[in-house]
Amino acid sequence: MELVVTKNFGNPQSWTLESYRNAGGYQALEKVLNEMTPEDVSELVKESGLSGRGGAFFPTGLKWQFVRSDPKTPRYVVINGDESEPGTYVNRYSLELDPHLMLEGMLIAAYSCNATLGYVYIRGEYGLAHERTQAAIAEAYEAGYLGRNILGKDGFDFEVTFRRGAGAYIVGEETALFNSLEGKRGNPRYKPPFPTNVGVWGLPTAINNVETLSAAPAIIENGAEWFQNLGHGEATGTKMYCLSGRVAKPGVHELPLGTTARELIYDYGGGVLDGRPLKGFKPGGASSAALGPEHLDAALEPRSMAALGTIMGTGGVVVYDDTVCMVDAAYRDALFFEEESCGFCIPCREGAPNLVQICERIMHGQGTMHDLDLLEDLGASMMASFCGLGQFAHQPVRGAVRAFRDEFEAHIRDRHCPAGVCQFSNNGRLA
Amino acid sequence: MAIHAGAPRRSTLAPGDHAKLDDLRARLANMKDEPGATLEALYAAQAVFSYVPPEAVTMIAEELRLPESEVFGVLTFYTMFHRKPSAKYVLRVCRDLSCHISGAPAVLQALNDELGTRVSEVTEDGLFETESVSCLGLCDLQPALMVNLEQHGPLDAEKARSLLADLRAREA
Repeated sequence: MELVVTKNFGNPQSWTLESYRNAGGYQALEKVLNEMTPEDVSELVKESGLSGRGGAFFPTGLKWQFVRSDPKTPRYVVINGDESEPGTYVNRYSLELDPHLMLEGMLIAAYSCNATLGYVYIRGEYGLAHERTQAAIAEAYEAGYLGRNILGKDGFDFEVTFRRGAGAYIVGEETALFNSLEGKRGNPRYKPPFPTNVGVWGLPTAINNVETLSAAPAIIENGAEWFQNLGHGEATGTKMYCLSGRVAKPGVHELPLGTTARELIYDYGGGVLDGRPLKGFKPGGASSAALGPEHLDAALEPRSMAALGTIMGTGGVVVYDDTVCMVDAAYRDALFFEEESCGFCIPCREGAPNLVQICERIMHGQGTMHDLDLLEDLGASMMASFCGLGQFAHQPVRGAVRAFRDEFEAHIRDRHCPAGVCQFSNNGRLA
Repeated sequence: MAIHAGAPRRSTLAPGDHAKLDDLRARLANMKDEPGATLEALYAAQAVFSYVPPEAVTMIAEELRLPESEVFGVLTFYTMFHRKPSAKYVLRVCRDLSCHISGAPAVLQALNDELGTRVSEVTEDGLFETESVSCLGLCDLQPALMVNLEQHGPLDAEKARSLLADLRAREA
């Protein structure tokens, strides 16, 4: 299995320029500057099928073409390193272990977009990633990969500013990230206009995930067909999947996009912790609805996950065994979205606490069967939320009810928690 | 000029801390002309005071030429900014899914028991406070926590206690 975005992780001091260059780093950039036009680059990336690894899977080459086509200048390339989706930590690995790969990808994007300015935005909690990425940017300036007339290419200028967040999941939403970069509260903005035309500071912006940009250099070097063949059919290339929860070996694995959950959990994750039975799994972070073991052979890629009523999301796979109460798990997700709702629009601000309350009632043995219908209604209302946070916040709870309805009903009808997590006292309150 | 709305908020500065305002002003000097530097300015204030006191909000508003209300709005939006003095070691314990089902509640409990505090309460010596926070992106280290920005995990009650002992030893 050929690796694209994690290939340098095992190299000594992999985060330094010296190590990156020894591994052939910045050669794709040279090739781009010497042999390709900006149009060639976006066409090649389009042909490769590379799409947004943050979870939206928008075609990357098309995004670059849109930015280049907008006459407003200066144009920006922004790296979204705000990764905060529960169960997801792939960007952290890239930022800590191979920041130059991402910077080279960013420069390739900048050339293709005719962009001259860039931001690297990393969530506030990733201290080691801040250090290593800032050091990498300084090294890149020193070596002439950033600045004016890069690598002697007349007129190719690109300046990068490093920025960190300060604790806010919503800022991973691209327009909220722009507000944060501009020094504002991280509320999302209305779309359209889309960032490719009106992005940071109102200017055309290619905003890409760390992992997406990290794939660009290898596509330049090896070609579109090579990248296509790494995946499964229309799901081209690789994806950094990460495992957590009740799994024997949590960790990051770069695998063909479209790898099955069974392969990931059992072949790479060592199976369920202590060999216990698998109750289910979340395919991609908190926003994704959990699936039962009958879907272990489904491919972890956007289309097949959508067909099952969930999302591929970030590739952060969370494993549940029989010690996990699905009402409690749904409640945790609801609590997360309640905490992280920015409060800007009513369906999300009011809907998320309602999700929490309904889950609490059920866990306390005070739920009714009507509550399960109420969750459906509430979810429909929350679809009116201003941004994706509210539109997805109800999915994990409703998904849990769909896939594990028996367990919810046991709490409601029998005041019994099959996993033994919720303890009901005589008065029906949680003990 | 900053826009002052209503009565000034009650000062939270300790008597010795007023001199630190000059330090903050110096740190803000190179941010004045950088667009969008509000978060970095708040980080600077937190580095000086361990939190962002009302006087710092006023100063940032003046120096960055922003409405004070906007600076305050940014301060309250992001969870890593403190509005009261914070401990030298902030123990951020993840409470989200993967950590939760891997034993995070026992870790938080052990820390609070050992410190004799509740979440977000600073110990009398000013050294420690626990926070119960959203996913830290340390799910491979589940259950995980951060000591300020330092990563720790996987933990259990026992390891959490020995982590505290290590931190106390650093201070001895």
